[in-house]
Order: sequence, then C-alpha cells, then structure tokens
Amino acid sequence: MTAANGWTADEMMTVAAARALPDRAVCFVGIGLPSSAANLARRMHAPDAVLIYESGCIGAKPGTLPSSIGDGVLSDTADAVIGVPEIFAYWLQGGRIDVGFLGAAQIDRFANINTTVIGGYQAPKVRLPGAGGAPEIAANCGEVVITLRHGRRSLVEEIDFITSLGHGDGGDHRERLRLRGRGPGTVITDLGVLQPDPETKELTLTSVHPGVEAADVAAETGWDLRVAPDLDVTPPPSDEELSVLRELQG
Amino acid sequence: MTEDEVAEEIASGMTVGIGGWGSRRKPMSLVRAVLRRGADDLHLVSYGGPDVGLLCAAGRVRKVSYGFVSLDSIPLEPHFRIARQTGAVETLELDEGAFYLGLLAASHRLPFYPTRAGLGSDMLACNPGLRTVRSPYDDGEELVAVPAFDIDVSLVHMNRADARGNGQFLGPDLYFDDLFAMAAERTFMSCERIIPTESLLEEGPVHTLRIPRLHVDGVVEAPEGAHFTECPPDYGRDEAFQRAYAATARDLDAWDRFRAEWLELESHDTYRDRLARWRDS
Repeated sequence: MTAANGWTADEMMTVAAARALPDRAVCFVGIGLPSSAANLARRMHAPDAVLIYESGCIGAKPGTLPSSIGDGVLSDTADAVIGVPEIFAYWLQGGRIDVGFLGAAQIDRFANINTTVIGGYQAPKVRLPGAGGAPEIAANCGEVVITLRHGRRSLVEEIDFITSLGHGDGGDHRERLRLRGRGPGTVITDLGVLQPDPETKELTLTSVHPGVEAADVAAETGWDLRVAPDLDVTPPPSDEELSVLRELQG
Repeated sequence: MTEDEVAEEIASGMTVGIGGWGSRRKPMSLVRAVLRRGADDLHLVSYGGPDVGLLCAAGRVRKVSYGFVSLDSIPLEPHFRIARQTGAVETLELDEGAFYLGLLAASHRLPFYPTRAGLGSDMLACNPGLRTVRSPYDDGEELVAVPAFDIDVSLVHMNRADARGNGQFLGPDLYFDDLFAMAAERTFMSCERIIPTESLLEEGPVHTLRIPRLHVDGVVEAPEGAHFTECPPDYGRDEAFQRAYAATARDLDAWDRFRAEWLELESHDTYRDRLARWRDS
C-alpha cells in the first residue's frame, strides 16, 4: 500500500512507533523496526532519549542504522558499553528501562505475545525464533510498545504460546503477578493503533492510519475488535519524518 | 592438549556447556572432536549456534537447554529447527535473561536464582521442571526460580591463552564464557594461539584476561578453531561456508557429503588443510 504522497504502510508504522517514544525516555531497542523508530525519534522530538541495545551499548547514537546488535557503530557512539549479563541483571530486571519495543508473530486481545511456536509446543508446525530477551522486556520495562503487521493470522483469538506476558487474562492480572512494568501500552500495526482499555485491558482501536477505515481493521483482526468512540486518524508521516527515516535506512 | 584428548573427557549422557553466542566465537574444533569421538545422549547448554545444530543433526543430543539457537545472519539454525519441529530432542527453552540466571546460579553454587520474567507465560506451563518460589520476606512475592545448570564439562574458545589456562578475549564481547567456565565441574578451553604468560598483555589490557586458570582444566591451541563462526579481531564469520552448511539441512545427501568432507576428519589440522583448498577453489 502506497499513499499518494509516497509513504508506505511500513513507513507509517515506523513513524507511529517513533512518536510513541517520549524524549528523555530510556528505551530498549531491538534491530529492525524498533531500531529505525527509536533513531527516528532521537532525530525528531526525542533528542535526549537513551537508546540501549542488548549487546550492552548504553546511549548509542548511531549515524546509520546498525546491521546487528553487535555492529561497531553502536559501541563507538555509546555513553557506556557493558556486558550482556549486566543488561539483563541491572537494566532490565533492575527496572531501569522506561520503554521497550517488541515485535510479535502473534498477539491476542490482551496483547500477550507469541514468538515461540505455531502449532503445538512439543512438535510445532513452525518453530519461531523463540523468546530472546522479550519476556524480560515484557515483565520489566515501564511500558511496552508492540509493532507488527495486521492480519487475521497475527492478531488472533487465541495465541499458540504465551512467550511474553502482555495483560494476561486482562484486568489486574499483571498487578496480581506483582510485575513492575505496566505492560503493553500501545500496539502499532500497518493499519492503525490499538491501546488497552484502562479497566479490562482489552485492546481497543484508538487510531486508524490515513486511508484506513475501522471496518478494514476489524476485518483483519482475529477477534471481535472494539473501536474507541473517539477514533482518531493518525497524522501521516511529515516530509521531515519521511526524509530522516529514509536517510537513516540509507 | 589436543581436541581429541578433550573429547575423550566427554562421556555419553553428560551435560556439556558451550560458550560463545549464536554464530560467534564457538569452540567449533572441540565440537567436531566430540562429534568424531562418538559421545551421544548429550545434554547441551548453550546460547546456541552451529554447535547445537551440528550435534543435533549428527544425532548426538538428548536434550538442549537454550536461550536461542541462531546463526545470526541466518536467524534460525536450520538443523536445530528440524530437530525441534520433529520432536527429536528434549528442550528447556528459556529466555536469554533466565538462561543467564541458570548459569549464574551454577557459578555461585546456588540451587536457583529468582526472576520476574516468565511469570504468567507458557514457559512455566510447558516446562514442568520450572517452579516458582515465594519470597520469605514481607513482600511475599512469587518469583520464577530458574534452576542452576548442572554442567559436567564446559567448552569455550578464546583468542589467546597461556599454557596454564589463563584465557584472553580480544573481541567486542566475552559473552557468558566466564560463567560457563565457573558453572561447570570442568572446563576445557581452545584458543587461537597459546602465548607465553608474560606476553598476555601485549595485545589487550588486563581487563581482557577474564578466564583465570583456576577454572580451566586443559588448553588446546586451535588456530581458526571457531571457524565458521566469527572470532574477531582474528577473523570474521565465514558467511559462504555458513550458507553451505545451512543448505545441508534441506538435503540429506548434501548433509552426508558435508559430514564426510568436514566432520569425519582425523584432526583439526586436516580440517584446516581442507579449508585452505576450499578457499582456493
């Protein structure tokens, strides 16, 4: 899908994710869309965001997007470089990260994430990359932003495996587990933005991207999607956002 | 020591920890020796890469405990993917942080380490061996108790070492190799070059000496010992070789040829000779 002024649905998704990162936030960044979004944010409205990569780079300021978490451009521009164990122990478990970006193969209506298997656990149809560091991010970051492409196979009634906890069964499930992070606050897809209901924690469509109707989003969602009464339209990528993003992606 | 002498120390049924990370600084010459010597029914503990894939494809593995199994530039290790999808191996699949705590607990000689990660997830439901523990203090929090890995032998690969077993890493990251060395009953270390103790500070500062000889039971000099995984600054990953290896997962004949050509060799020297010819061709 390409809009009239030339941005693609994936670019809209990246720009919307960038806007979800507040200035001065300490942000845990993975390679791919999260890295694009976080670096776009740092060049736009969040110059003082602190980007942390799993390889141990704290406050990385890459001029071009890194190809992997071990890319030298991260350590060369970082405020500090520590080891991977310290990232898990002192930064994630220690609760020092405000925002974590996560991708997903599947999510359900409470933003629980599956990145482990499609099919049964013992002999899966498809084995996915697995947990990685995602359960640590999901449990411990102040807030989680999830990005994934919309579709009935990715936003499903029941996910095949809960790899990383979102809002569990909904309501106060996270509080009952005494998790310190608030869990997923925003789900950004190529069609729109979903946010949990403050009480039930069920994901609700709060914004559609330009050119998308709520009915289109509902048709691509595997559960009966709730739509916010004051549904917004996501502002399209500005010329500046688009040119900075494309320069980053080089 | 030689690779084969290390492999003799590994008996069928043992739990073997393997250092490195994905397709990075893996003790591949030791892994091939283990494969050659025929130990089977192994339990591997690894931030897995081709070490796990090779041993699974060769049918030597009963169980894998892992944080991931990846070739980095190829996200899913294809041989392990087959083993996992056909249910050929038992698994203890932890996230990377929980896996770290299993190593940490073992190195501290504690039975477990607590964490919040994994609460409410299917990690607990699908791994009956994982339990929770309640804090004895007023907070009363219930936490996941990640059990210590009970590792018989760890294998790690360093850039340099002295003959007594002081290991040095010169790349960007030690990964968890110090913990693998401390978690295991015994640890064997290969290295690119054995150098005199007094030369250890010529290439890197004292902070790069992270595997003290007290944790090491034997050293093997293995130039290109991590091939085809990366071992910076000595060499990068051999992506062409890795692609050729990965392609054998889809084709049984290709795997048999790869095995005869690259795995069933008498020594690491033979492997290096063959590698030199492969690169020239």
